[in-house]
Amino acid sequence: MTNPMTSVLLIEDNPGDADLVRLRLVEGHSHVKVNCVSRLADGLAALSRETPSVVLLDLNLPDSKGAETFRRLIEHAPNVPVVVLSGQDDDTLAMKAVHSGVQDYLLKNSLTSKHLERAIGYAVERQALTRALEMAQKQQLEFKNQFLSHVSHELRTPLTCIHQYVTLLLDGLAGPVAPDQSDHLKTILRSVNQLHAMIRDLLEATRAEAGKMRVEPRCISLAELAQQTIAMMRPTANDKGIGLEIGLDQRLPLIFADPDRVLEVMINLVDNAIKFTPHDGSVMLQACMVDSDPGSVYISVTDTGRGINPETKALIFDRLYQDPEASDSSRSGLGLGLYICREIVRLHEGRIWVSSDPGRGSTFSFTLPIYSLAKLLTPAVTYQDQLRPAFSLVRVELTPLSSPPRGNWKETAQQCLDILRRCVYLDKDLVLPPMGASGAAETFFVVASTDLEQCGVMTTRIREQLEKLPDLKAKCTLSIMAAQIELTPPGPDESLEQQVMALADQTTAMIMTSMERKHSIPGKHPQLVN
Amino acid sequence: MPSKILVVDDDPDLVRALRLRLRANNFDVATATDGYSAISAAQKERPALIILDLGLPVGDGFVVLDRLQNSDILAGIPVIVLSARDPQMNEERALKAGAAAFFQKPADNDELMNVIRANIGPAPEFKQAWPS
Repeated sequence: MTNPMTSVLLIEDNPGDADLVRLRLVEGHSHVKVNCVSRLADGLAALSRETPSVVLLDLNLPDSKGAETFRRLIEHAPNVPVVVLSGQDDDTLAMKAVHSGVQDYLLKNSLTSKHLERAIGYAVERQALTRALEMAQKQQLEFKNQFLSHVSHELRTPLTCIHQYVTLLLDGLAGPVAPDQSDHLKTILRSVNQLHAMIRDLLEATRAEAGKMRVEPRCISLAELAQQTIAMMRPTANDKGIGLEIGLDQRLPLIFADPDRVLEVMINLVDNAIKFTPHDGSVMLQACMVDSDPGSVYISVTDTGRGINPETKALIFDRLYQDPEASDSSRSGLGLGLYICREIVRLHEGRIWVSSDPGRGSTFSFTLPIYSLAKLLTPAVTYQDQLRPAFSLVRVELTPLSSPPRGNWKETAQQCLDILRRCVYLDKDLVLPPMGASGAAETFFVVASTDLEQCGVMTTRIREQLEKLPDLKAKCTLSIMAAQIELTPPGPDESLEQQVMALADQTTAMIMTSMERKHSIPGKHPQLVN
Repeated sequence: MPSKILVVDDDPDLVRALRLRLRANNFDVATATDGYSAISAAQKERPALIILDLGLPVGDGFVVLDRLQNSDILAGIPVIVLSARDPQMNEERALKAGAAAFFQKPADNDELMNVIRANIGPAPEFKQAWPS
């Protein structure tokens, strides 16, 4: 053996075979230590205690058979070289074993001492090489990611300086600027903004690749975000003479997603669509529900551009992909936009894809999970397999006194949420996650398993606790409202699940109306506390 | 009298540009280019607000934030962090350390001015919103 001290873990249940292998192993080699076990479970336990040089593995053991045996072993100890010893001359199984990471597949009946020695030697070496390669790749990836985030940081410093001085000149803060000079400066500013976007994308893609992209999901209305996207992209579309339309389902549910990220995806898709659509074309942003998939909202961006050919479709969401046919003017990014979109959608557990009719246009679509109130409500609103008798909806709203808010608004919002959670009964009331976009007015809802009268006790408690927060009065106004959630009495065959669903639907409808109307809450007896 | 803003950044070119812009927006401007002089400038000038870079020589931005927070006289001064660093790694930390806002460079001028104005001067009073 190449290694003077070779330790072998032999997993073999047939005593005769085990003796034979042991004999072959020690023939002429005094430096082999053999540990023999007869069950896979014992083998795995032995591997947890110490790492042998190699594992010799029989496939048909009392507690595991065939391919399952090496799969489980490799999953348990991916870094130890494994050589299968089989009684079966099965090429397909042997291939499968090697594909799964087994180093060799030997037949017991043709085992010679020399043969075994060589197989073990090679297995150990190959495994070491594979590991070294994996380590090197990992290090390289880490280095690349570190390098990219360092570069994007360093690039920002000079970029900031250019940005400051160009805007200083443009705003006339360094003296009057002639009209053509102003045009030149605007050209510089456009390029600065483009460069800025590229640096941002570079860092974002690096993060995505390293699995460090983060999302902060909130309960949001998709319609609002879609309208915001259209408003933001309108000037770009107008400049190019492209019609920009929006089509939204009347009853879009609330979704649970990071509003900034979803906006980023929609803006990216609309911007791309405008880029690849000729003058006089049109771009349409739509959002709808699909009967076959009630758990998701479908969002799509359709353009009347020249479309995408089938080969490109497969690659378009990959990193650094750029359409080779695109003109230079439309190729103004790094080719990371769609990759970032895909990663954002994936983090939300949605799907993204493109369909296209070459020559006529393309449609980019993605899905986002809807906010399922029923799932969240179930434990709180039921008691002994029955729906509790009464429910109220509490709305707590903090409106900052200035826009943007004074001080660290995010922390203020978090403190309020913490207080709300402390003011309710956790087993029967539910504080819903934050609603709407962050950074402006914060609205929180509580579904309370009480009637309106009892609920008043809770809202008073909430107000008292919130008012104890230092500085809150200097930052925002507070309004707390409550309304009864009116339910039609359940039918005789209505299951508990259906009742919870009805409650969830009614509550969601109230929340959505309340969010649209701002500062009010629907319901038969809206009660303004204080 | 115009409010005074202390700008702390180790890039003198950027400090100059920010000074011009802030003066044009009717602010008085004091400057510092390292952590140590940032603290002494804050003590001397008693600014209404501080714009603070994070990557600074002689005590980085976090050290400055810490020193400000631990000073009875300076703790109330709102600090806006303006840094090239990754917000994902630094924003939360800066806000926890007492900053009022975090901007990544390059920042939008209008947004920056709005946040400066929101954090300067006495708080607006809306007494009717808080009935007792």
